[in-house]
Amino acid sequence: MKKSTALLIFIILVYTFLIGPFLIIFLASFGSEELMTFPPKGFSLKWFHKVFTIVMFRDAFWSSLKIALGSTASALILGAPIAYALVRFKFPGQNFIEVIFSSPAIIPGLVIGFALLRFFVLLTNLPILLGLYIGHTAILLPYTVRVISSSLRNFDISIEEAAVSLGASRLKSFFIVILPSIKTGVVASFILAFITSFNNVPVSLFLTGPGVATLPIQMLVYMEYYFDPTIAALSSILIVFTVFIVQSAEKLIGISKYV
Amino acid sequence: MIFFLVPLFFVLIESFYSKAGRFTLIRYINFFMDSRNLFIYLRTLKLGLIVTIFAVILGYPTAYVISNAKAGRRSLLMSVVILPLMTSPVARTYAWLIILGRFGLINQSLKAMNLIKTPLRLIYTENAIIVGLLQLFLPLMILSLVSAMENIPDDLEEAARSLGAGWLKGVLLIIFPLSMDGLILGATLVFTGSITAYVTPAILGGTRVLTLSTLLRQKSLVLMDWEGATIVAVVMVLTTLILYILLRKLRPKLI
Repeated sequence: MKKSTALLIFIILVYTFLIGPFLIIFLASFGSEELMTFPPKGFSLKWFHKVFTIVMFRDAFWSSLKIALGSTASALILGAPIAYALVRFKFPGQNFIEVIFSSPAIIPGLVIGFALLRFFVLLTNLPILLGLYIGHTAILLPYTVRVISSSLRNFDISIEEAAVSLGASRLKSFFIVILPSIKTGVVASFILAFITSFNNVPVSLFLTGPGVATLPIQMLVYMEYYFDPTIAALSSILIVFTVFIVQSAEKLIGISKYV
Repeated sequence: MIFFLVPLFFVLIESFYSKAGRFTLIRYINFFMDSRNLFIYLRTLKLGLIVTIFAVILGYPTAYVISNAKAGRRSLLMSVVILPLMTSPVARTYAWLIILGRFGLINQSLKAMNLIKTPLRLIYTENAIIVGLLQLFLPLMILSLVSAMENIPDDLEEAARSLGAGWLKGVLLIIFPLSMDGLILGATLVFTGSITAYVTPAILGGTRVLTLSTLLRQKSLVLMDWEGATIVAVVMVLTTLILYILLRKLRPKLI
């Protein structure tokens, strides 16, 4: 009894630490004062209203959405063959490629953003949106490769061999035999990659430029000049969406297995 | 692949070759001879280590409870654990500004209790960065540990208990060694994640408490010292790679 009570209190404290800050940001966004204080004084919805009147947030939201959808799609299209090759074949340099794709932190996003800016974007005068799209695709690849290859490892190779021996081409058997059975992994990597791109700061930090910025970068810029609850209100909106997506994804496909 | 590996390759080349095209380590020697750089480098490693240690201490019991919970509750506990990883980093870190800030939760409460007269400086400190990073990376430790503990058959712990081992002894002798793989994987993710994270040290450390990543930004985007920034970038990549390889060697081969 004593053991379980102590553990219970411990767990409650850990969870409070993990999600308590989100509740606080939520409460803070209803404060009515110009300067952010906590506990908030008064009650007001004006900061939520203000979020939608700021044009730079609206523009940045659409850029973020475009970049996230585009780069997630590309990372899936590029990542699936890489994952397939890693699982099915043996080739030189395989270990190296596996290490690079095994964790997003191996090559930090900050370094990818910096390298792309320095040796690609600045040299070629690449349009900003295109640069962001390429940078985001690069950082999403580890997510799609890792999740899809772990789904492929659970897939019984003999089913594919059966399809091929019955006359299907490798490509055809991929689409009609393999893809349906790794569907969950593909959906999971789509959700993870989309959220990662939408929230990304390190790569975007280097690749945004005049006129084009992503939402997180625009929030950082705003924070440098104002300390009113607008960012709290916008953060609350983002947090509510995240909770909704994570909870539904957990129910439907058990997303926590793939993180 | 080409799009991002080629620029990375150029970064690497540039840092090791002099203007005359000869191989040189002089830039690295200069980087580490500068006491400010060295200090920032060591601080980054120190913060990563502290965050990893706390993640183990807080993560272990949590993972133990989650892995023993019934299916329904387990799924709820897991989906809440991953929230900090999925939330916008700006939103997540901003929450700590509200808690630790000059007019934030902690300062206001201490004032209300008459414990302090002037607000304490809690943000722009190493501790603020540690707290922010811990909230972000603790979930990774918990997830790695849970998946390792799930592979341990329940009977093992029961067998130990029926043979007379107490609860603590069961955990120490059975669960701990068998979840070592998850622990090391988790430590790798937390450590490498902590030393390369950007948003948390940028907001909670500011320019006062620089880490490698905020130094990289300062050198490149603020000071336009591209060569200096290149060195920081390579130092960062090599450090994570070396840590990754070292910790991988530690992983038990049998399991």
